[in-house]
Amino acid sequence: MKSIGAVSLVATAICMLTAAAQAQIPRDPTPIVAKTSPADIANGKLLFEATCSRCHGLDGGGSDGPSLQGVPDRLGDQAMGDIIRGGIPGTGMNGFGSLNAEETGQVIGYIRTLGRTAEAAVAKGDAARGKSVYASSGCTHCHIINGEGGGVGPELSRVGAMRGPSYLRTTLLTPGAILPKEAGAMERGRWTQFLFVHAVTKDGHSYEGTRVYEDSFTIELKDATGKFHSFRKLELTKLEKLPGRSVMPSFKDTLSLPQLDDLVAYLSSLKGAQAQ
Amino acid sequence: MKQIRIIFAFCALTAALPTVAQVPYDRLVKSDSEPANWLMYGGNYYDQRFSGLKQLTPQNVAGLKMAWAYQPTRPAGNVETSPVVVDGIMYVTEPPSTVTALDAHTGAKLWTWSPLLKNVVAIGLFQTNRGVAVLDNRVYVATIDAHLVCLDAKTGAVIWNTVVADNKMGYAITGPPLAIDGRVMIGTGGSEAAVRGLLDCFDAKTGKRLWRIWTVPAAGEPEAATWGNSVPAGGTTWNAAAYDPKLNLVYWGTGNPAPDWNGDERPGSNLYTCSLLAIDPVTGKVKWYFQFSPHETHDWDASEPPILFDGVVGGKSRKLLGFANRNAFYYVLDRETGKFVAGQPYAKQTWAKGLDAEGQPIVIPDTGPSSEGNLVFPSITGAINWTSNSYSPVTKMFYVDAREMGSYFVKGTNTHWEMGKFPMNAGGERALSGDDAYGAIRALEATTGKMKWEFRLHSPSWVGTLATAGGLVFSGTDEGNFFALDAVTGKPLWDVYLGSSLRSNPVTYAVDGKQYVFVTAGTTYFVFGLP
Repeated sequence: MKSIGAVSLVATAICMLTAAAQAQIPRDPTPIVAKTSPADIANGKLLFEATCSRCHGLDGGGSDGPSLQGVPDRLGDQAMGDIIRGGIPGTGMNGFGSLNAEETGQVIGYIRTLGRTAEAAVAKGDAARGKSVYASSGCTHCHIINGEGGGVGPELSRVGAMRGPSYLRTTLLTPGAILPKEAGAMERGRWTQFLFVHAVTKDGHSYEGTRVYEDSFTIELKDATGKFHSFRKLELTKLEKLPGRSVMPSFKDTLSLPQLDDLVAYLSSLKGAQAQ
Repeated sequence: MKQIRIIFAFCALTAALPTVAQVPYDRLVKSDSEPANWLMYGGNYYDQRFSGLKQLTPQNVAGLKMAWAYQPTRPAGNVETSPVVVDGIMYVTEPPSTVTALDAHTGAKLWTWSPLLKNVVAIGLFQTNRGVAVLDNRVYVATIDAHLVCLDAKTGAVIWNTVVADNKMGYAITGPPLAIDGRVMIGTGGSEAAVRGLLDCFDAKTGKRLWRIWTVPAAGEPEAATWGNSVPAGGTTWNAAAYDPKLNLVYWGTGNPAPDWNGDERPGSNLYTCSLLAIDPVTGKVKWYFQFSPHETHDWDASEPPILFDGVVGGKSRKLLGFANRNAFYYVLDRETGKFVAGQPYAKQTWAKGLDAEGQPIVIPDTGPSSEGNLVFPSITGAINWTSNSYSPVTKMFYVDAREMGSYFVKGTNTHWEMGKFPMNAGGERALSGDDAYGAIRALEATTGKMKWEFRLHSPSWVGTLATAGGLVFSGTDEGNFFALDAVTGKPLWDVYLGSSLRSNPVTYAVDGKQYVFVTAGTTYFVFGLP
């Protein structure tokens, strides 16, 4: 009993310090820098599992909390560290003031490794030529980059920050082969985005397109022309979900291999809209 | 002139308001005799979430329209409240720990009370509140910083405010208190902060603590032998309970042992985690316990609200308890003795071959978390989580909101922990894609768990069920639909899209002879009635 009392006193003292540090951005002025050695990343992974994964998912792809993939790139290490240690008031993001600057850097170093498909791969084409390929291949009809283009498919202004060259190449050759998951919630699973759906109404009309929205009673599609169609599920005679298919055409037979490399290089270079 | 009009309007409003009635214990015991009111979290002490109201029926429910909506000013967290309605006044909670009294007829705000919260520690849980308890002329609420507070039901003024446990150590409260004869009981959360689970009972008038139960042992106590050499932690009591006034037993579930997902340092069954405790509320003695998931490593708390009902088993009338566990099994227990009566899965599970004659799981080897990730059903959030089920004495069915979802369970290596310091998640999950998951409202034969019907939902939901004597079951979806099903067949009869996830247990009540149905979506509180 005596020893338990002593343990709990120590624990209380530690946690009072922790709580004090959680109240605000820590006073520790040491700059936060991502630590990226293998040992740092290994420890960052342990800390991430213990501290962050409950809300942000083990892969940082978001669960109760938002996706962290790509966030250090956007915010920078210091801002990321301030949030990790100080929290975001009024949200579910607590501060973890118990992490020192080095540990925080390790966590950021680990988060930087998350969510990058074929991260090590480097696009081997020429991005400038790829921009021309993009413009001449009809991509702009369906995709927006920095505010320009059509809205049938996903916006691509940051696609190079989120997806690796291998992923981009696969998608250009076999659209629908690897569909991304939304940065959704752990508690209901993260839905597949851009899922291809075929619906037939009671009057025999058939509709195909990308799923935009679905709930227990309704489903909404966007067809290849960008038109939306909304249905009550009980009024459909057929509702097929066809992962693997896509409203996007394959560029397997329309682009040469060098053109494909250039296009992948261009898409890989898209890391977000430039500040004006 | 404007000012005068406002004052006049205010006076007219207050004059028209119903007066606050006293809710003596006797009225709570007989709550089924006044279905217009929803006097406690689970509707009655049996926690059945069944209403005797019959105005809404399968024939007319399609005509439901919104009667009013209420939006808290600055909700800081998920809205997961389940209201208490007394004689035309509705007591709701707002995240994290605010109590507001509304005119149940119009939604007009009568008073609101918020605690002063500073440096709140909330580890492994949402900063929310699920509801209050009412006794005599008082309203009881527990706060995120682990206080139990007694408010005047007429004004919201604080009568007493007691610290249940030290929030700095990770104790936090989101669940509703249970008010019985002169006593208020409350549990806490905090297993992810590796706190030692407890259940407290306070004098309802003074706030003085009458007893405390530790749900996990101290070193040297006999139960410590079920923990290896580790310091027992977890087993928190964060959700709602049921009460049998005749047996004078309170039924309260306990959560997971700590650390989660890696049980290497705590070999043994880890008593009394993931268990149901039957407690004498006068003495604080545990009369019996039933452990559902010994040595738990999937975060499958046994914190789900139990439901008490009487049923016939083998030709004999029995006092029973139905429990849809987060581990995907539905259990029927004898609530006098704690003996296992029946049980079977109500959702997909891949971790047990079944239950043995004592109701203990026949665990399939290698279904725990692994360093690479082991796909197991149900997911970490479970086949059900905090939401409440319902039981209809009319259909004798148990209506469960089942979550069909699996996770890759990952075993972490970081099992070192210091109480109150750090989230203690020695691992975690990679949940399956949303398109590989779904939800379902299922009607189970209450005495056996045999499924009678199901209504599939697009995704696993976080909405309880409500059963009514009118023959309806209400529930909702994570996508934002609120709906009514036929209680006998499960056929969908009405639905409305509310624009954001529903995260509450619906309730029903009546004012001036008109039946209403309450639910929340996003941060808005909705009430529906016939025009």
